[in-house]
Amino acid sequence: MEASPIDVVIFAPLAPILGVLLFWFIQLVIIESEKYLLSKIRLKHEPFCRFTNFLGILFQTVCHALGFTVTKSGISDFYISVDYGRVAPKKEKKGIFEWISNAFLFIGPFFIPALLLLICLYFLMSSGFEIVTPSQLVELKYTFGGQITTFGASLHTFANGFFSFLINIDLLHPAHFGFLLLMIFLGMGMRPSYIGKEKQEKVDMFYDLKNIGTLILHKPLYLILLFAMAYIFFYISFWLQQIWYVALFAILGWLSIISIVSLVLANMILLLIKTTDEIPGKWKVFPYATMPISYVIARVLFFYIPTDFTKAVSVLILILSTIAVTYFLLKRKSNRFKTERDIKMLKKKSKGEKDE
Amino acid sequence: MNEDELLKGEKVEKILSPHPLSFMKYQSLSLFLIIWGIVAGWLINFSEWSNLFSDNEWWYPLLVWGLVLLLAGVIASLLTVRWSIFFLYLGVFAGGTALMLSAGWLDASGLFIPFYTVSISIIGFLFVEAYRRSHKYIISNQRITFKGGIVTKRERTLRYDKITDINAKQSIIGQIFGFGTITPISQSGFGLGSDKSFAGGGVQLGEKKLKLFGLFGGGKEVQTPRARSYYELHGVYPYKEIKKLVEEMVQGNVITPYQQEQVAFQKEQVDIQKQMRDLLKMQSESKMDQEEQEEGSEEQES
Repeated sequence: MEASPIDVVIFAPLAPILGVLLFWFIQLVIIESEKYLLSKIRLKHEPFCRFTNFLGILFQTVCHALGFTVTKSGISDFYISVDYGRVAPKKEKKGIFEWISNAFLFIGPFFIPALLLLICLYFLMSSGFEIVTPSQLVELKYTFGGQITTFGASLHTFANGFFSFLINIDLLHPAHFGFLLLMIFLGMGMRPSYIGKEKQEKVDMFYDLKNIGTLILHKPLYLILLFAMAYIFFYISFWLQQIWYVALFAILGWLSIISIVSLVLANMILLLIKTTDEIPGKWKVFPYATMPISYVIARVLFFYIPTDFTKAVSVLILILSTIAVTYFLLKRKSNRFKTERDIKMLKKKSKGEKDE
Repeated sequence: MNEDELLKGEKVEKILSPHPLSFMKYQSLSLFLIIWGIVAGWLINFSEWSNLFSDNEWWYPLLVWGLVLLLAGVIASLLTVRWSIFFLYLGVFAGGTALMLSAGWLDASGLFIPFYTVSISIIGFLFVEAYRRSHKYIISNQRITFKGGIVTKRERTLRYDKITDINAKQSIIGQIFGFGTITPISQSGFGLGSDKSFAGGGVQLGEKKLKLFGLFGGGKEVQTPRARSYYELHGVYPYKEIKKLVEEMVQGNVITPYQQEQVAFQKEQVDIQKQMRDLLKMQSESKMDQEEQEEGSEEQES
């Protein structure tokens, strides 16, 4: 199939960029849900929220410092606390340098933590780091369709490896367990805005997007320059018949996938915290205790009855038993999941006890 | 604080203890032991490298365990400039080795090492907790009393008017959990420590007979607020509230420049009044003398 020159020259380089943008947008939406859950549990878990704030501010400040380092502005002041971070450059550089350091500040927190996780994954995952070109697309690979399919295929290969690693994660393996903890912790802080003591309307997805939008619109020339560089890189790759261009964006896509999974895991933990808050007294400890106990029991059981999916089934047992225990406690110890009939019966019962 | 320990007119404002996480630097030593104990157990028994330990000499696991422990001790000691950490880990290693050799558990190192390390870390945790609980800070309207120590009980009493300045610090964990350390510095300098650093070098020049040897060095000392945990308000919660309370107490007990002016003015007033009284006294005395003289002359005339 003959590729149109307009497609190759104009549209093909856009394909991986759009792919990354799509994943990044999904990331933003999940961050929003995380921020909502954090604001809901803030009153009861103030130190925990301060900790997640600190993680967020830490990444933000480190990214800003990294921006100043990359632009050779130097760092004269580096301050970080649980609710505030500040980095000042040694030399005030204007123009493109300032723009790049600001880009690091606004976009860095989305990708830098994921980069740390990707480095860890490189040592833990057996496969998935290949940039794949589907064989049927050899002729099409420098068109919009070809580029997006190659990008998608690379992401698919990575996602396959990553998810099979997560499903078969061995929580009794110190490195695997450490990675999971790191993923949850980084997922908690993978956001560019601060959850304050009081609810602030401006701190939401739109505020983050507004920051990035201002950055882009304030100096559109720099954005054009960035696009021009991307296009030049694409043409060089095309000219040398290499897969470099799509590989670069595939790595960004991998980072987005890692971020999304970290955020989903962090969301699940936050949801568990929010749900267990409704269980009165010391009963709320049980769902948390169920997690290690059920996993260890499952592993011991499968040690004597070996199967092919020992680790995956053990993780499944952990998740299901935690959900079951939480549901049971919510039903028994709180008013959640109680029907009108149940409540009437309870009222009758308590009335009867009083009469006696 | 007992009733009989209170001074006349003394009222206790707050009785405090350090926050459970305020001794994290000691707890982290035990935490490392727990983590390393579990990792060592996994490494020797279940990892893909377990054959390396089972197929070789009995001292292989002991060597790996001890080397990592001592290496961690050296790194921690260098970072904190406190060699006691290294000697602590050396003690743990030596104790474990001695126990293994004396009990003849050489073949059971895969089981002994993790259990021993985790047990020692639990003991460490309990010791740190006991040490934390031995601390008590009493803030009254007249003074601050600091108490602490497991075996030897130490106590410091500091009157607010003797406090020259207050140093306060809050670590990241402190900021997250809302605790911090307040070090009141007394007029005698109690509460101040010093950081010392030294650099030195040597040069040797020449060969065979002619040798020149030079040595150069330098050192500096920086004064920094520092005290033992039982001589400061270590890791108190809620930090901001306590800091404000102590500052208010100091402010209330220390005379301000305005108050000093007022006192000087009142003193001046008293002096003037005294002078006036003396003058009046002198005046009345001279008047009385005059009257007496007049009376005397009248009597003589009559």
